[in-house]
Amino acid sequence: MKHYNKEGINILLKKAPMTPRTSVCLFFKTNKKEKYYGINSLLARLLLQGTKKYTALQLADEFENECIDISIKSKQDYIKASLVFMKEDFNKAMELSKDLLLNSTFDDFEKEVYKLKGEIISDLDNPKMKLTDSFVKNLFKEHPYSSTHTKILEDLDKISKEDIISAHKELLNSQKAIVIAGDFDDDNKIIDYFCTNFSFMKSIDTNCEIEDIFKNDIKKDELVWISKNDASQAQVIQGWIVDSFKSEMCAKYSLLNNILGSSGLSSRLFVNLRDKQGLAYNVRSQYETLLHSAIFNMYIGTTPKNIQKSLDGFKDELEKLALLPPDEVELKGAKENISGRMKYFTQNNSQIASVQGYNFMMGLGLDYNERFLEDIFNTKAKDISLMAQNLLEAPKLIVVVAPEEYKFEL
Amino acid sequence: MAEILKKENIEFPYLEKPLSVYTFKNGHKAILAYKDSPMINISSWVKTGSINENSENNGVSHFVEHLLFKGTTKHKAGVFDRTMEQKGGIINAATWKDYTFYYINIPKEHYKLALEMHADMMVDALFPKDEIGCAFNPDGVAPKDKRERYVVIEEIKMGEDNNWRRVYKNINSIMYQSHPYKREVIGTKQIIANISQEEIMRYYKTFYTPENITTIVVGDFVEEDVVKLIQENFIFKDNSNIEKCKSDKQIPELKIQNPTTVVDYAEVNTGYLMMGALCDSAKNLKETIALDLLSTILGDGKSSRLYSNLVEKQKEPYYYQLESCHYQFRDGDNFFIEANFDLDKKDIVIDELKKELDNLSTIKEDELKKAKKRALVNFATDSEMVCDIADSIGYWVTVAGDITQAHNYLKTLDEIDCEYLQNIAKKYLKSSMVSTSLLLAKGEN
Repeated sequence: MKHYNKEGINILLKKAPMTPRTSVCLFFKTNKKEKYYGINSLLARLLLQGTKKYTALQLADEFENECIDISIKSKQDYIKASLVFMKEDFNKAMELSKDLLLNSTFDDFEKEVYKLKGEIISDLDNPKMKLTDSFVKNLFKEHPYSSTHTKILEDLDKISKEDIISAHKELLNSQKAIVIAGDFDDDNKIIDYFCTNFSFMKSIDTNCEIEDIFKNDIKKDELVWISKNDASQAQVIQGWIVDSFKSEMCAKYSLLNNILGSSGLSSRLFVNLRDKQGLAYNVRSQYETLLHSAIFNMYIGTTPKNIQKSLDGFKDELEKLALLPPDEVELKGAKENISGRMKYFTQNNSQIASVQGYNFMMGLGLDYNERFLEDIFNTKAKDISLMAQNLLEAPKLIVVVAPEEYKFEL
Repeated sequence: MAEILKKENIEFPYLEKPLSVYTFKNGHKAILAYKDSPMINISSWVKTGSINENSENNGVSHFVEHLLFKGTTKHKAGVFDRTMEQKGGIINAATWKDYTFYYINIPKEHYKLALEMHADMMVDALFPKDEIGCAFNPDGVAPKDKRERYVVIEEIKMGEDNNWRRVYKNINSIMYQSHPYKREVIGTKQIIANISQEEIMRYYKTFYTPENITTIVVGDFVEEDVVKLIQENFIFKDNSNIEKCKSDKQIPELKIQNPTTVVDYAEVNTGYLMMGALCDSAKNLKETIALDLLSTILGDGKSSRLYSNLVEKQKEPYYYQLESCHYQFRDGDNFFIEANFDLDKKDIVIDELKKELDNLSTIKEDELKKAKKRALVNFATDSEMVCDIADSIGYWVTVAGDITQAHNYLKTLDEIDCEYLQNIAKKYLKSSMVSTSLLLAKGEN
């Protein structure tokens, strides 16, 4: 991937010969707390709901008649428009994306609010969605990262069309990047095309108003219980706010996560809680890094009477790692596993554009994956124990969704 | 070492080189596809799934899938998982009605070891009793020693909490009269808790035979090396003398005999619906393509009929998810509409969806053009990653029955016109021919 900055526009290019589909990602960094939770989600949806030239239906026709796949997603730190299309449809895809980014009317505002409300209610029918919603909301409390389904639902009716128009202006006045991965002839032609046609993608530096948060804002362990009386399984998650990708701890937490519960069928949680104790079909750990924070968590879906046993199992596995560092074979295997997964998840143009664009927007640099792997391979076994110890010592948040009769207190 | 009976080169859409298809004298097939990639995908597709089960062993195909990871003569349980993952591999398996497949995605420098261990797992599974766990009553006290039986039972419970899986389970059971497709692939708690190790082994020996298995390797490799590795490591045991497992009769059902509606209840705040029809086999290429196209026109994307008519044109839409899908099977395809909706609108929803099905008797040229391009682009999409190429090949071999059908797809696609699509819609998708499954909130009618 090469980075060009011409006329203030950041353009990242990755040539992939012989690939029939091209991917373009347009990144916009979100540096401010939303006035109401859900504004950016609503904006992302409304950008696909009609322009001065096309109604929502006409726009959908224009994209789908040529099989140009487009999605616009609002994430914690950015809004991203992703397009994937056959390489011969480049001009059409770019014309349409320019039109919707510049000329959206937001006329479907009321309808989109109505649709979003319904989709959130529907999503929350899913017990696992309920669990993660509550977990993130309670972990981040008033921080902008707490913008979950239920928080959006509370704020949705306060949002006006003017709020969306204002958020759109902010979007166009933000830090930006265009990322292209595909089979194109000449870097210069592509760069000239964007300089001529996408001058609105000039990147504008803005102050970041979002605070960093790298540890839990709780004094002791907390339990949030959500009753769901017809559930066959209990959904259980426990976790912590921890250091993120700009910290030297990132590689260490990544390895702890891999060994504990994200390498696949041989992770410790999988082997000890699933294979040996038959507690679950689904058990894992996760380390999710964001710009201003990161989450480390462990999850299990288990028979409700096994909730305590599962929580004990989480603790046991952390304690074992805190007391005894992984041996060299396990540590080397975890390093190789992370390296292999990174190759696996950067195979096609869409994955490459997305990953590299993200690294660039977060200020990590285009060589971040290589540097991250270097950190991974330099990590020592005792570092893993230290990370496990950190987690054991920090107060944790536990959320459970299960039938009321199994409710307990910490 | 298995001898090669024949080798064919077969064109496959969007791949740089033709596929190399090897048939060995014992019936085992290997298909090699070249793709410039840092990863190699190795998989074996077994032509068995719930289609070969009966009411006493329902779920055994899926249980075998879990247990194949539990050790061989050479490698104890866990060694395969650990070795592959410590080399950067991603491993897993899946079971469906017509097939079971096992795969490894691994950085290419480790593919030789991966292929050796994959072959070992496929031909020499031991099913150790201590890994299966003791039999027990799933409605009684749980045993202390909870092993793989219990893992599968947790998977069944997970499905019970998944609203869409419940709706699908119910519609699947009412669409068929007696075909084994009627049953859930995952089986029942009662059977999984009690099936014996001997019965599991018998199933394995009956269906994991060379002529029933296709091994697929996709990536950047030296072909001769891969073929040699397959020949040396896929050493099948002779199980011809065993008493074979009995399967239920597999008489294709291409039309629902008594279209009906089934209603289930849960703690939900929205309604869930699947409306389904039975159609001809995936082996009927022209009809399968027509059903793909009809599914795109009816319910794929925001410009589809369902979304544009029932969501975008409404001031206050009451659908939260709305799409159609076409499932291909060896003994007859399924066509579904899936809707998640406002509970107050249940009756309107059913009427509207039935009308949309009947309206498929008229197809416009621009709709056909869009759907044809989507079919082409789907092939391009499936050619991007080694795992997707392997899955696509696996489908054509095990479900459609012939790898050459993939190449024929594009030629046959050209032959299809609006009139043909309309006739297929009238043949299979009239509203009077579908069954409906609903999941509603407790207390709703």
